[in-house]
Amino acid sequence: MEVRGEDLPGLFSSCVLALFSLLVDRRTVREAEARSAEVTGDTVEEQFFFLLREAFQLFAAHTFLARTAHVTIEGKRVMLTVTGEPLDSSRHTVLREIKAVTAHAMVVERSPGGFLARFVVDV
Amino acid sequence: MRFQDVEIRKLSETTWEIPRGNGMRVPGLIFASEKMMGEILGDEAIRQVMNVAHLPGILKYSIGMPDIHWGYGFPIGGVAAMDAREGVVSPGGVGYDINCGVRLLRSELTVDALRPKLRELVSALHREVPSGVGSTGFIRLTPQDEEKVLTEGSRWAASRGLASAEDIACTESGGKLPGADPGAVSAVAKKRGRDQLGTLGSGNHFLEIDEVAEVFDQEAARAFGLFPGQATVLIHSGSRGLGYQVCDDYLVTMADYMRRNAIVLPDRQLACAHIRSPEGKRYLSALSAAANYAFANRQILAHQARETFLRFLGKGPSDLGMRLVYDCGHNNAKFEEHEVDGEKRSVLVHRKGATRCFPAGNAEIPESYGHVGQPVLIPGDMGTASYVLAGSLEAMRVSFGSTCHGAGRMMSRTKARGSMRGKSVIREMENRGVIVACASQKTLAEEIPDAYKDVSEVVGVVHDAGIAKRVARLRPVAVVKG
Repeated sequence: MEVRGEDLPGLFSSCVLALFSLLVDRRTVREAEARSAEVTGDTVEEQFFFLLREAFQLFAAHTFLARTAHVTIEGKRVMLTVTGEPLDSSRHTVLREIKAVTAHAMVVERSPGGFLARFVVDV
Repeated sequence: MRFQDVEIRKLSETTWEIPRGNGMRVPGLIFASEKMMGEILGDEAIRQVMNVAHLPGILKYSIGMPDIHWGYGFPIGGVAAMDAREGVVSPGGVGYDINCGVRLLRSELTVDALRPKLRELVSALHREVPSGVGSTGFIRLTPQDEEKVLTEGSRWAASRGLASAEDIACTESGGKLPGADPGAVSAVAKKRGRDQLGTLGSGNHFLEIDEVAEVFDQEAARAFGLFPGQATVLIHSGSRGLGYQVCDDYLVTMADYMRRNAIVLPDRQLACAHIRSPEGKRYLSALSAAANYAFANRQILAHQARETFLRFLGKGPSDLGMRLVYDCGHNNAKFEEHEVDGEKRSVLVHRKGATRCFPAGNAEIPESYGHVGQPVLIPGDMGTASYVLAGSLEAMRVSFGSTCHGAGRMMSRTKARGSMRGKSVIREMENRGVIVACASQKTLAEEIPDAYKDVSEVVGVVHDAGIAKRVARLRPVAVVKG
């Protein structure tokens, strides 16, 4: 996945949404409840990797699907709030089985107009 | 032949050496034909073989099989044996799908006899054997049951009447790796695995009805109970979400270990810890637990397939004769004894997309196969062929008792899907004489035969190199895909 954003929190939010878009058509997900997660990382890449892992675990461990995502960054801490709902197989079709978010070829860098991130999921 | 700035030396028609250099502790060794080497050089797999050669404690060679292709840190189709005292263990050397593997059931039926009912039988198998994204099994594990699955593997299935003593005897390591500790498996991993026992999954996992199309080694085929025209069932699956999560959890643990112990490697995806460190021991305990889950998973899938055949055909178990030939993993790390520099040593053999391949006379092989060697199961693509091989002495000498694991992906999933846009994979497979039942057309398109190397060529290389013996070729006639 290649994602662009104006700033790092915006980029990270968009990456979380991109991840959930790999799992489900997000238009079918209702904003019924909010879930939060927090990670820390020494580098931007670490913050990004741990954030995506944590976001994926919302689905992998709790079958929670996100419709919206909001990220804030304070020093080494990254806070994620998503709204969405648990998987309801009568309304949601899971598009693919994702094994994990990997660190392979992971990139977070400045680009014209903001930031760019790349990440690979293992399917 | 050159790979970037490295000259690769041809040792024989089937073996190539990557010389030791730039921090590599051992040379690289690739099993491939000249034609295949040309293809292999096209991706980063050779670089990954060289990177693996940097790992502390690696012995003799960093090895690549003919089905080698790019993987996470380690190449898929890679073998690396580590000294058990000084070496490291790496989750990337096993892969996400811990103990993913293959199981072959034979029967007393011929495909010709099955053919009139084949389409309905495939539908029944598709209905009865859970497959596809998010599928759940018929078994609901309590947390206590799940701990037993993790410690007992296939033997847990036997305790529930889902496996026979013969099933256990014909499973690699008796369907149970020692040293499994459910306490080393995270709560998230357990949660991911709880409802998935007895499910095929999606991606390249499948259940297939095959016909024994050709027998190359009469004695071994007889020992394995195989005959031309016979209907067999091949199952490919692994440790599902539980195994994926164990790998994911320990990659983070190992990255932290490397930082604390100043281990520097050319690729951070080679994250590892010394085998004797607390982190290494804990991963190995979790690995064994996930491997046991995979053994139990394939056992339950086989049980469901067997039951479906019995119900659908209205035959008794002895008429059907659906018995397990063998079950072998191809993503694992196991302690074994191997000869290194003329001396027997305890080593930890990482096989990622590689199959254990022990020769005749080895104590680990079921008694009835003791004179011919361990059955080695090599699934190909869904339209061409799969192979049954037998273990060899040469594999013990040159590849730590290992051989290839499959055809090896040649085309990315996206490219494969793109190449089938507007075409019906099911119709194309029917034209090849293969009935397909699938949960997702998209996944099916990713698994088209053209996405894979020619499995016959892969098997030809390992046979010619002597690291396995060709026994029989299986031709798919029906496939259930997730």
